[in-house]
Amino acid sequence: MTKGKGDINKKSEVLQGTLDLMILKTLQAMGPLHGFGIARRLEQLSEAVLRLNEGTVYTSLLRLQQEGWIAAEWGASENNRKAKFYSITKRGLKQLARETEDWERISGVIDRLLRLEGQR
Amino acid sequence: MPEITILRKVRKLWQRMRATFRHEPRESEFQAEMEEHVSLLAERYRRQGMTAEAAMLAAGRQFGNRTLLKEDLRNMQIIPAIEALRGDLTYAARMLRKNPGFAATAVLTLALGIGANTAIFSLCNAVLFKPLPYAEPDRLVMLSETDRDGRPGGVALANFVDWRDGSRSFSGMAALRASSFASSFILGGHGEASRLTGGDVSSSFFSVLGIRLMLGRNFLPEENLPGHNRVAILSYATWTRRFGADRDIAGKAITLNDERYTVVGVLPAGFQFGSTAEDFQAASQVDIWVPLVLDPQRLQRGAHMYHVIARLGPGVKLAQAQAELDVVAANLAKHYPEDDKEKGILAVPLADQVTRGVRVALETLLGAVGLVLLIACANVANLLLSRAAARQKEMAVRVALGASRGRLAQQLLTESLLLASLGGLAGFVLAIAAMAALTPHLPADLSRASVIAIDPQLLIFTVVISLVTGILFGLGPLFGSWRKSAGESLKQNNRTSSGIQTRLRSGLAVAQIAIAITLLIGAGLMVKSFWALVHVAPGFRSDSILTARLSLPGSRYDDNGKVAALERALLDRLHGRPGIQSAGFTTYVPLSGLDNDWGFLIEGRPPLPTGTYNTAQYRPASPGYFEAIGIPLLRGRSFTVADTAESPWVVVISDSMAREYWPSENPIGQRLQFGSEKWRTVIGVVGDVLDQGLDMAARAEMYVPVEQAPNL
Repeated sequence: MTKGKGDINKKSEVLQGTLDLMILKTLQAMGPLHGFGIARRLEQLSEAVLRLNEGTVYTSLLRLQQEGWIAAEWGASENNRKAKFYSITKRGLKQLARETEDWERISGVIDRLLRLEGQR
Repeated sequence: MPEITILRKVRKLWQRMRATFRHEPRESEFQAEMEEHVSLLAERYRRQGMTAEAAMLAAGRQFGNRTLLKEDLRNMQIIPAIEALRGDLTYAARMLRKNPGFAATAVLTLALGIGANTAIFSLCNAVLFKPLPYAEPDRLVMLSETDRDGRPGGVALANFVDWRDGSRSFSGMAALRASSFASSFILGGHGEASRLTGGDVSSSFFSVLGIRLMLGRNFLPEENLPGHNRVAILSYATWTRRFGADRDIAGKAITLNDERYTVVGVLPAGFQFGSTAEDFQAASQVDIWVPLVLDPQRLQRGAHMYHVIARLGPGVKLAQAQAELDVVAANLAKHYPEDDKEKGILAVPLADQVTRGVRVALETLLGAVGLVLLIACANVANLLLSRAAARQKEMAVRVALGASRGRLAQQLLTESLLLASLGGLAGFVLAIAAMAALTPHLPADLSRASVIAIDPQLLIFTVVISLVTGILFGLGPLFGSWRKSAGESLKQNNRTSSGIQTRLRSGLAVAQIAIAITLLIGAGLMVKSFWALVHVAPGFRSDSILTARLSLPGSRYDDNGKVAALERALLDRLHGRPGIQSAGFTTYVPLSGLDNDWGFLIEGRPPLPTGTYNTAQYRPASPGYFEAIGIPLLRGRSFTVADTAESPWVVVISDSMAREYWPSENPIGQRLQFGSEKWRTVIGVVGDVLDQGLDMAARAEMYVPVEQAPNL
């Protein structure tokens, strides 16, 4: 990917935020997963979003770790290979709840706004 | 939005800071994870039927640029700016180590430039920039009487009192007797008699300066009155040296000049006062302070032996105060024409007064070393330019690898700043060493510089100057190396210097030569003046001359006759001793900075208009003085032991006085009057003495025998 840095930055800023949220939700719903597993679930959930390179998952994972919303632990994967498993923390759960609330509120407003247009 | 407490933010920052300086990057962890991820992806593609190679390629594409990702992850874990700086510094250090010759030359050049500036700055700081050590020093002014020509001089006590009572612009005014007339005290009753230099002041002196006494109290206003003035305030040094730092000293009695004084207070350590740069000299500091006697009946208006300081009232500007003083002066001129006609009052900020003599010289020096630093910068810039030409290929490769111009500039600037810092460090050390070596040899005028210390201001100055220097010469190579495109630079047959670079280097060389020549010419002129000064004949001899100061207690030697007798006795004892060719006494040694002048009348001349006087420097001297100090006798005779208070009163005048007042006749036999009703006959003319300074004209001087002197 040799796109100019500027392009990726704009798109990725918006998507990074949503990616963080989606990873938190995935971990909360599905329990501890390793990076590959998370990528697969996300792929299932929304194909369009993952036009982003899969590697960016790790950027999100690092950030979530730094914020203390997820924790990492080395363990054994399905094929008995060494893998790092991520799980959501209590703080992460709280953050997830907060962000879900925010998201729903915003989407509710946009929803109403769009319906408003339609009424004319 | 997520809540982040300040504490967590700080912890995050701290973790990133630590990670920046850790040797092992934590990339390896992610490395394993990412490789695993990619191989899993590849596996999936293989199961879909791709070849191993194709699967790997597809997996890589789906995963994304691992190098960039690793960099992003790393940048999230450290502070990228510091990491970049660290890298640049390491690289710069390595470059310097690989070119020791260049590094040494550059650092040495900078060290000389920065060091010279630091040294001179520290001097200027101590003498010019540091505020005087008093409360709100910018509100303090010095008041002087000015003569017809506007020249400032000493103040008479009666005038001081009238100024104080007649002006409203000042919150306080005080008088101090000039050091030429300072009292000298013999401290008795403490074993060996010791001589103390006295400071005679009005009672508000210390409060005008805003000084709080360390022990005891200040003078009271009534202590300026006769009969109540036998009190004293000790300087800190005197208190520790002569009184053993006795904390109960306040109220105790001491003997000064055979009289009983009561100590009322002690000044804090480090208190200094001087009206000129010389007065700040440690050697002439006042040991003991006593109140002036301001007897309202006997205030003199003719003896101008005092300095006056004042503090401007709140909100009063100097110009306003000066205007008011002009009115006061005009009033006094009307009321007292003999003494104050055509005399004005000049108010000068105290700080300016103290630095007056040396300000120009020091500022010139500062300018000169500034130019020297510019030369050093140009020199190093030139060196860097030559190297930049050679490094073009390296720069081109970096650009090709993806470095931005800004990043390159950052790296080059870091190298320059490293060089400048090393130069600054070396320069600082050099400056300290130079100052330590030179301070003992500084002229007396600059002795406020004895408080030169390595203070924070000096360090800040050095740091700032090093940075500015680094940026100045660091910019040079930047301009040079950007012109060519990366591609051109990488070609094999590339000539190293571009046109712009060559022009820049020539320009720098020309600038250096121009500045250097300017400095050389300036220095040459100064050396020439100095040479001329040193070779000026002072009018007396200073080689093989020993001087000693005698202080006689006023109580035992209250009569000039007794003083003269002592001098005669001492001279008799010295006469004929091996090693002593001749000896004599005088009240003021040439070039001592102390002087005393009197107005005199010449017999037979028409009276001068009121308020104008002929004045000459006045010097009591013993027989043998002229011979001992090598002042030539041009006409007539000098003093002998026969010249006593009872014999006819005589005076010996200097050559310039003779020429000024008797241009076409012989002054011998003419009569003068001053300081007494008795007329004095001129018996001799001696050579001029350059008493004020080797660069100033000789003044009229009149010498009298000790016994015939008005007061000592």
